[in-house]
Amino acid sequence: METVIEGKRLKKTFKISKREKGLFGHLANLFLPKYIHKKAVDDISFTIKKGDAVGFIGANGAGKSTTIKMLSGILSPTEGSVTALGLSPDKDRIEYVAKIGAIFGQKSQLSWDLPIIDSFDLLQKIYRIPDQKYQENLAMFTKILDMKSFIEQPVRQLSLGQRMRADIAAALLHSPELVFFDEPTIGLDVVAKEKIREFIRYMNKELGVTIIFTTHDMQDIEKTCERLIIIDQGKKIYDGTVAGIKTHFGSERKLVVKFEQDYDISEVAKTPSIKIISKKDRSKEFLFKNEDIEVKSLIQYLFENYQVSDLTISEPDIEEIVRDIYDKGI
Amino acid sequence: MDTFALFIHYSLITIKSRFQYKVDAIFRSLAVFLRESASIIIIYFMLLKFENINGWNIDELLFLFSFIFFTYGLLILFFTGFRDFENMVNKGSLDRFLLRPRGLVFQIISSNADWFAAIGHGCLGLVLFIYSAGQINVDWNTTLVLYCIVSVISGVLIQGALFLFIASLSFTLIKVTNIRNILYWNTRKFAGYPLSIFHGSIQFLLIYIVPFAFVNYFPAQFILRKADLIDFPIAYIYIAPCVGFVLYALSYCYWRYSLRFYKSTGN
Repeated sequence: METVIEGKRLKKTFKISKREKGLFGHLANLFLPKYIHKKAVDDISFTIKKGDAVGFIGANGAGKSTTIKMLSGILSPTEGSVTALGLSPDKDRIEYVAKIGAIFGQKSQLSWDLPIIDSFDLLQKIYRIPDQKYQENLAMFTKILDMKSFIEQPVRQLSLGQRMRADIAAALLHSPELVFFDEPTIGLDVVAKEKIREFIRYMNKELGVTIIFTTHDMQDIEKTCERLIIIDQGKKIYDGTVAGIKTHFGSERKLVVKFEQDYDISEVAKTPSIKIISKKDRSKEFLFKNEDIEVKSLIQYLFENYQVSDLTISEPDIEEIVRDIYDKGI
Repeated sequence: MDTFALFIHYSLITIKSRFQYKVDAIFRSLAVFLRESASIIIIYFMLLKFENINGWNIDELLFLFSFIFFTYGLLILFFTGFRDFENMVNKGSLDRFLLRPRGLVFQIISSNADWFAAIGHGCLGLVLFIYSAGQINVDWNTTLVLYCIVSVISGVLIQGALFLFIASLSFTLIKVTNIRNILYWNTRKFAGYPLSIFHGSIQFLLIYIVPFAFVNYFPAQFILRKADLIDFPIAYIYIAPCVGFVLYALSYCYWRYSLRFYKSTGN
């Protein structure tokens, strides 16, 4: 498969002026400003191939927006290089951005007071889209994104979900090969989110568009992307399949046992790799790692020594794993 | 040609968008016209008390004023985006422009053309110009007409260069409202009057720092040749039509240079 984006050892350092306290500090700052260098992105490399759908996740301030901005040509990397669609996003800006699309959940690119069709017409001129192709794309997106009922309405009268759909269409009218979605589902209700995910999947699978997706909603990723890159404190800490994250991070399992009577189960916890996380009357919860303990032998042990009435084993879901990573880092 | 068509399309969009609030749109031009006229009427009655100022009579003073208004009308048609650039950076519109396959300066100009205010200022400038030139009895010939046209363009570019320069500063300084007010709006207040009436330091300011003298005083002197021109190098009335082009080119280079800071710092 053809490489679409190649990021090599990307680094981005921001110079932030350090504020001193007090009047004297302010004056000193004015004449001798002190700077701290904050590493927003610290040595990240990756390759994205044609037709990929890649989710970028990370806590706020982890460096994912900065990475996306470097990939889309808004920021230049401090060190390292990006090659995308055979171009340098930063140096060949005009040529490059003609081939990409970008959707920001927080900011609309449509004119607030005008019917959205007017904004679309302007985009046709800006991107020099040939009439025929424009009409085809417009008809297609109106149908798939179900925009017919509101295409003549100004943005200020639209719901957030409708606005988002219009914004997505606006970013795709020029048939980009590569599309960035920056939190496109933020603030949407479940139904609207689902519609957007469905459309993104369709674009990726049917139209073969390469997709880069950032979000805080793990469901977005699970439903649209096969590949996931997790960024934490400017570093890439995971790059692999969405399913693979469970084996990579989520090796802890939870066993919930309901006993016939209220046993003292401290005996069980003597095995070093089993933790008791809750004791409520007859119901106890254990946490253990797959690689340390064989499930079979643990259950066998419990059945042999106690009277067990009910028992469940659960694996942590991706959401939990990611929350864990955000909280603790690696 | 394609670029020009796009500028017109952008303008139509802006106008249409303003016309969503029809009454307000119509009143915008009128309000600007009346507001600026009021200031002229006040000055007019004050000046009637004097026979002349340094040899300039009331019609000649109005002629001098007309350049300020007319150039400002054209200025806000093209440079409103740079005048209010700070807001654009804060709202993130600049990122949006960076993601579109057109020149950055072009997009900033086109998407902010303020036709309604431009008509207000421009009409006032034109009315003043036609009235005062008629009273003064200017002896028009081809050279003079050409000189006037080029000087007006140059006058627009001088002020445009200033806005572009201040906009470029906002990449590093972020807040530039006060710098703009001091450099542009304060200096502009002096510019309505003959340069010769001011103290040397103010003359220096108006010629070399914020060169409003080349927007109206020297071009007007090319036509009027009032006696006070002796205070200044005569060459200035000949270079006036070029000043704007040179300054704009310099400002543009500085803009290109400053943009790198944006790309390396974000917002």
